Amino acid sequence: MTSSVVSGGPFKSRRLNAWLNRRMPPANSVELNQGNIFILPTREGFYFLALVALMVLAGINFQNSLVFLISFLLFSIFMVSILHTFRNLSGLNLQAGSTRPAFAGEDAEFTVIVHRRGERIYEGIRLGWSESLMQGVDLVDDEEQRVSVYVPTSRRGRFNPGRMLIQTSYPVGLFRAWSWVDLDMSVVVFPRPIYAGDIPDAISQNNDGDMLHREGVDDFYGLRDYRDGDPVRHIAWKSYARTEQLQTKEFVAFVDRRIWLEWDMLAGLDRESRLSRLCYWILKVSESNDEFGLRLPGIEIEPDRGMEHRERLLTELALFEVDQRPGVVG
Amino acid sequence: MNVYQIPRNSLAWLLCAQIAVILPHVGRLPIWVTVVSAACIVWRVMVYRGHWRFPGKWVCGLLVVAGFLGVPIGYRTILGLEPAIALLVVAYVLKLLEMHRQRDAYVVILLGYFVAMCQFLFQQSIPWTIYVLASVMMISAGLIGLNQTQTHTRPLWTLRKAGALTAQSLPLMLVLFVLFPRIPPLWTVPTQTQTARSGMSDEVSPGDIASLATSSELAFNVTFEGNPPPQSSLYWRGLTLGDFDGETWRQDRIMWRAAYRVDRDIPPWAEQVERRGRVFNYDVIMEPTQQNWMFTLTMPDLPTDTDIAMGPDYRWVRIEPVRSKFRYQVTSTLNFRTEPILANFWRYRMTRLPEEGNPRARALATELRSRVGSDADYVDEVMRYFYAGDFNYTLQPPLLGDNKVDDFLFETRRGFCEHFASSYAFLMRAANIPARLVVGYHGGEYNDIADYFSVYQYDAHAWVEVWLEGRGWVRVDPTTSVAPNRLEQGLQAAVEAEETFLLDSPFSLFARQNLILAEIRLQISALTYYWDTWVVGYTPEVQQDLLRDYLGDFDRKDLGILLLVSFFSVLAVIGFFVLLKRAHQPLPPVERAYLQFCRIMEKAGVVRQMGEAPDTFGLRAAESMPDLAEEIRTVTEAFVRLNYATPAADDEARLKRTVRHLRLRALG
Repeated sequence: MTSSVVSGGPFKSRRLNAWLNRRMPPANSVELNQGNIFILPTREGFYFLALVALMVLAGINFQNSLVFLISFLLFSIFMVSILHTFRNLSGLNLQAGSTRPAFAGEDAEFTVIVHRRGERIYEGIRLGWSESLMQGVDLVDDEEQRVSVYVPTSRRGRFNPGRMLIQTSYPVGLFRAWSWVDLDMSVVVFPRPIYAGDIPDAISQNNDGDMLHREGVDDFYGLRDYRDGDPVRHIAWKSYARTEQLQTKEFVAFVDRRIWLEWDMLAGLDRESRLSRLCYWILKVSESNDEFGLRLPGIEIEPDRGMEHRERLLTELALFEVDQRPGVVG
Repeated sequence: MNVYQIPRNSLAWLLCAQIAVILPHVGRLPIWVTVVSAACIVWRVMVYRGHWRFPGKWVCGLLVVAGFLGVPIGYRTILGLEPAIALLVVAYVLKLLEMHRQRDAYVVILLGYFVAMCQFLFQQSIPWTIYVLASVMMISAGLIGLNQTQTHTRPLWTLRKAGALTAQSLPLMLVLFVLFPRIPPLWTVPTQTQTARSGMSDEVSPGDIASLATSSELAFNVTFEGNPPPQSSLYWRGLTLGDFDGETWRQDRIMWRAAYRVDRDIPPWAEQVERRGRVFNYDVIMEPTQQNWMFTLTMPDLPTDTDIAMGPDYRWVRIEPVRSKFRYQVTSTLNFRTEPILANFWRYRMTRLPEEGNPRARALATELRSRVGSDADYVDEVMRYFYAGDFNYTLQPPLLGDNKVDDFLFETRRGFCEHFASSYAFLMRAANIPARLVVGYHGGEYNDIADYFSVYQYDAHAWVEVWLEGRGWVRVDPTTSVAPNRLEQGLQAAVEAEETFLLDSPFSLFARQNLILAEIRLQISALTYYWDTWVVGYTPEVQQDLLRDYLGDFDRKDLGILLLVSFFSVLAVIGFFVLLKRAHQPLPPVERAYLQFCRIMEKAGVVRQMGEAPDTFGLRAAESMPDLAEEIRTVTEAFVRLNYATPAADDEARLKRTVRHLRLRALG
């Protein structure tokens, strides 16, 4: 966990976090109400009070009723703004939306659905897991908004960002109402890819037979007629311009190659370094047309193609022997 | 890292508010402060509109140094109200010019509130109060804009929100205003120094009071406890002028050495006053005059406030000049007798005349005095002389030469009250009778809407007091012998033929003559009076009296409890409206009925999915509950028609009926 990310709980004290968990247990949908909204004056609120005090003093010393009047008006605005600020969170419904995984060190994306009941207008709400990456949201004309919030990640594994901060100081900034909401969201964080060069040849030999073996991987082999499903970038546009016939460039290494990416290819490195390099290879090989599989100690995934497959492999890497530490739910 | 920008919405209101807040101060500020303010605002507006850029650091720094050095140098002091406000205004405009971060905007807003408040140190009328509240609302709109999302670009919406917030705060403000314990000042504060004095001055030469008669400005309002005295005896004494140099009457400054104050022993001249008859209690709210004197009916009781003194001429004087509306309570006895023996010192000073000048008047005095046997008779004799002589009361007296009394008595014979009073006092002194000129106001306009008297500048009057053996100081008003209706019906009646009354303010005159306008004027005047009495004049004493009326005896603790209880009750009521009223806006009846239907279905086990179309849901529900299929179809069809197609006339009724039917079945 990065230190700037609120996770596990907003408080340093374990007891306070436990209290928060009892009071607001993690749930996919949370409605904000008097039970889970906190409200306190902001620093500006205290300055404002000091101004009111100064004005009352002026009222006393000048014996000026209208100076009293204006200072009492400001104090009343201060008090009434408590209600408005509270109202600007209360009744909001927060739901966990989709998530998008990230590579360690990048920002993971969490979508939160902010939904209101009734006609009440909500303005100037900010939410997020990290002070510097808060997202603003208004519910003026729309019933609900989807807010994408980014959270920086640092380690691979299943990442639970913990309690999300949702806050507002609307309308007058003298009070801040906030809540720590645990929408029970998590996302897989893949290992950080580290450059590992080409996939060693030796490993390819271990693969199942009937495939061409040549130097290099991306060598141009020839043209054939275009078939549905051929990658667009392999279309021979130059030849198309000449002949007006769609043809696909064939690369010899892509044909029928089945690559095994193996733990043992990276002997001598520690676990995380191996995973990072495997991750690099997966990304690299998935750009080609090859089928690729993964062998980790105790895990074997048959070679296949496609984004889904890639995702599955990356997830295996991400969750390989992860710590069962609090905050990282395996 | 993206750079913070003050939301434009907020900025627009802050600029408007700044103009509104500074504008009323302009007349009191040095011209250069106004120019710098205008330049800063224009600069900021140009930045706002994207034409210019922010001033550089050096320009800002220079402006700050110049501004903060300029004020004390210009005023030669920083103590005092005007320099303080000038400094505040300079800080306010300069801060606006270098407002980049949110924190800067808060500083601008807080300064804005404070400068807006300062306007009340000078003006406290209803229109000004509305003005200040409006500018405070604009500042609040700027504050709200600051907390809105950047993309919010509906300034009027923001202002409306500020208006709603202000309106909701008003009840709380009232509670605080009435119940917050008012206490006397903790220390003396600098007050304004350069203000034109209005009303009468402390010296009178012929023509001075006549010029006041053209002014319809309010001098003070008076409320009597119980029945007021008759109009003709409302002689509001302002100051006595005992020093005459042949042309001008001035105050006798020595008077003040002997003045009485609460913390001193009661002097003999005060002890010797004999009061008889009815006692009048009244409450005066004076307009600011920048002078010390106060207006009372003779004979006032000794003052009990520490900041009020009483001179040996029996008039009240405030230690500090009256710089803002000032409210005081007096008890007077109209029937009284002052000291029977006049000290030689005062006899000398009150009979003093210049060595030379006005020989014919002196001769006249000798002649008239020789005709009668006593000083008292002489007083009447001179009155008869004015009455019988061919004297005219006019607002446009001719100019007088060097011997003013002679010229008036024997040449022009046309004059205003101060001509009569001053020549009368001269004739008294020439016969060695102690006499002094008194200036103040006479009468007042009764407002039956709010039961009080308004005394205007045109009610200004001058009369004479003479000291007679055994009777003490006695009031003589020589004007009555010439223009008796001045006393009964006021000035307007006395000079009706002349059409010079309120010549300078034709509208006031018109308003006084037109019946409808006169009624409106009285209404406005009554409103102003209530405002001055209950808002501007809500002093610690008034608060005490008011609370005692309703609470009986109370102490600080009771007041505190009452304040807290009422404050939080009102806040709770506001909270009810803010939090509950708008949370669930009532749905239209059709939607309500349909939602009810959905709930019944839900209980029966068919849950409508989010966004599921009503007809799909209807089909699904009908499938799983064949025995209710007919009703479900009716409801669904009616609802769909009502919402998405042309509904039949009875669709709404049928929808409701069927839902009711379903609910009864579900219950049963």
